[in-house]
Amino acid sequence: MRDALLLAAAVLAATAGMGWLALAMDVHWEQVRGADPLAPSTARLLRALGALGLAASLALCLAVDHASMASLVWVMALAAAALAVAFTLTWRPRWLGPLVAWRGLARSVK
Amino acid sequence: MFQNFRLAMTWLHTWFGLALGFVLMVVFFFGALSVFDREIDRWAIPQSRFAPQPMPSFDKVLRPVFESMQPTKESIERMKDKVDGPMPERFDTVRRWGAYTTHRDPVLGLFAGYVVPNAKDPEDGVWGNRTIDPRTGAALPDDRLKVGSRFFYPLHYSLNFHWKNLGTWIVGFAALMMLVALASGVVMHRKIFREFFTFRPRKTTQRSALDLHNMTGVVALPFHFFFAFTGLVIFAGIYFPVSHTQLEPLHELHEKIEAQETGLPHDRAGVAAPLASVDAMVAEAQRRWAAQGMAGEVGFLALQHVGDANGYVSIYRAGTDRIALVGNGIHFKASTGELLREDPPKSAVDGVNEFLTGLHLQHFRHWLLRWFYVLGGLAGCVCIATGFLFFVEKRKKQHARAGSQGARVVDALAVTTVTGMLIAALGILIANRLLPEALPAGWPPRGDLEQYAFWGAWVLAMAHAFWRSAPVAQGRMAPAWREQCWAIATMAVAAVLLNWVTTGDHLLKTLGAGYWPVAGVDLFILTGAALAVVAARKLGRRARVVPAVRIAEAAHA
Amino acid sequence: MAASLAIHSRLHVALRIAAAVLGGYAFCWGFIALGMAGLYALGMPFHDAEHLLAMLAFLLYAAVFCWAFVARSLPRVWLVLAGAASLVQMGLA
Repeated sequence: MRDALLLAAAVLAATAGMGWLALAMDVHWEQVRGADPLAPSTARLLRALGALGLAASLALCLAVDHASMASLVWVMALAAAALAVAFTLTWRPRWLGPLVAWRGLARSVK
Repeated sequence: MFQNFRLAMTWLHTWFGLALGFVLMVVFFFGALSVFDREIDRWAIPQSRFAPQPMPSFDKVLRPVFESMQPTKESIERMKDKVDGPMPERFDTVRRWGAYTTHRDPVLGLFAGYVVPNAKDPEDGVWGNRTIDPRTGAALPDDRLKVGSRFFYPLHYSLNFHWKNLGTWIVGFAALMMLVALASGVVMHRKIFREFFTFRPRKTTQRSALDLHNMTGVVALPFHFFFAFTGLVIFAGIYFPVSHTQLEPLHELHEKIEAQETGLPHDRAGVAAPLASVDAMVAEAQRRWAAQGMAGEVGFLALQHVGDANGYVSIYRAGTDRIALVGNGIHFKASTGELLREDPPKSAVDGVNEFLTGLHLQHFRHWLLRWFYVLGGLAGCVCIATGFLFFVEKRKKQHARAGSQGARVVDALAVTTVTGMLIAALGILIANRLLPEALPAGWPPRGDLEQYAFWGAWVLAMAHAFWRSAPVAQGRMAPAWREQCWAIATMAVAAVLLNWVTTGDHLLKTLGAGYWPVAGVDLFILTGAALAVVAARKLGRRARVVPAVRIAEAAHA
Repeated sequence: MAASLAIHSRLHVALRIAAAVLGGYAFCWGFIALGMAGLYALGMPFHDAEHLLAMLAFLLYAAVFCWAFVARSLPRVWLVLAGAASLVQMGLA
């Protein structure tokens, strides 16, 4: 049970990480935040958060399995997370809103 | 041949990607299914629907079965041309007995290799095999096809085309082309980071297909690279048989030296000897593993030079908790049970090789990683399929204007390889459930009939694809796609219903009992059915919209 | 792209493909044979040499395959691949 929870957390961390990395890009920021401008400092912050999310995901994988197994799980989790974020951006971009919740509500919708 | 590097790589990617894409589609799809090959076996062979079992007692269960085995007819047939003299009626000089099991196997596969007197190559031999219920030693009927592990799995690495190993060579070349396609794809894809998360389904089919092709290719790039590469490494002995040809003398020399170093005799002594208790040897092996802090189950049990004074028993620990398939081999003298050798730790190169082959062959226990592998495999299929779609979309209008059939042919082949392949896979599952348990005398074996159903269904799908793709030659979409999606949805539901009707194991029952192998296969099939319905309806809507647009355009002209 | 191909005949394309597939294979075979013999002579365990060379050879084959199409001069491609392969065979004999 503990392993299942840790792995679930690893997948979530990877997804959040990928989400933040996506939001650091103008086109995807706009899909989620509409007319809210993306400042370079915000983009840098998002990239840092993204890296943290991916690193946390690796750490969680290592907490469950030994290194050779965990590295495979992590690489595949990144792929799954990237796909999840990409499809969310395609069909339900607003669902990524919570990742930048500190910005308040989006000013206008696209 | 080309003005610059990028153009050369684009040409390579396009034409070799197209040609080998048809093969790679089969490899990736059946490779994805092979992750759960043993579970598919459970679905196909209802008598094996019980919990996985550990390796049973050799002395009590396995030995009587081994002693009753003989080589298969096919193996003897294949050996006929490789002997100087007559083939014996019975084969009693056993070179090797072996049993291999994993944490996912309810039934146990046994194999036996026999020495053939008068063989042109003394190392050559004939082989027998049997599948038993490890709880009792009772044999399963030999004609039950393990649709997962003995059909889908070999299909993915050999196309089940065994003449001169040609199928394996074709797959190998396709794997090499996969590596080339990945490298050339990266060179071609200028916006690889910018478009990492980009998928725009509402643009033209050409743009949407390219978006999805790029995304599924890039996002799972490590997976695609490593599976193609490790697949080649696993069969390196077939693709570059240097040790058995040019460097054979060196190889033989090394074998003799190694036999002396390890104390494991290379040849028979020619002196008969009894067999001591193998169970006692297994117990000792397990005691030694536990003493090293890695208690484990037996994964592989092998007896070499059976019945001879030089005979030895090798016991390997199952790699359930690691990437390597089996490891920590311990070898005992067969006649006395004395310890001959404990395998030393692996060298660096050996460790890397084991990691690479183990990550591909996956005998470890890790359900999340297995499902991730399925996802990766299916992503590869989407990458290839969208590659086909992009190729056709980019050219069909020009070809229509020029009166060429090129785009139509590629589109029909794409339908055959994408939806047609799924129809074939469902065809064998349906045949598996529909065929009677006992066939009348004189009929081909049940397993052979199931395979005919697979190939027959695929041929029918191909015929339908070519028949229903004429609109592509006029620059429009073929109805074949939509029609085959409906066929898939229907057949998928039929397969699950047939499982219920013929075995009584419907979803509520298997989910309730927690019997995941069968429940998982049923759920996977039903999910496929749902996706096929969604696709069929979307394609149907598009088919109705586009003519309407054309009529409107014509009206405005 | 079609324009660059029109300059070269079908024969040229066929020879490029042959160079990549067959020449590449012979080149990599030679690489493995020479590498294995060499490393074993230097003391590396036989199967280690076998596995290591095989892994490198597949990567090399992919690279050489691409190079056969990227290189400007087809005769040079044949010279390098077939030439090296032949040299290795003569050396090992």
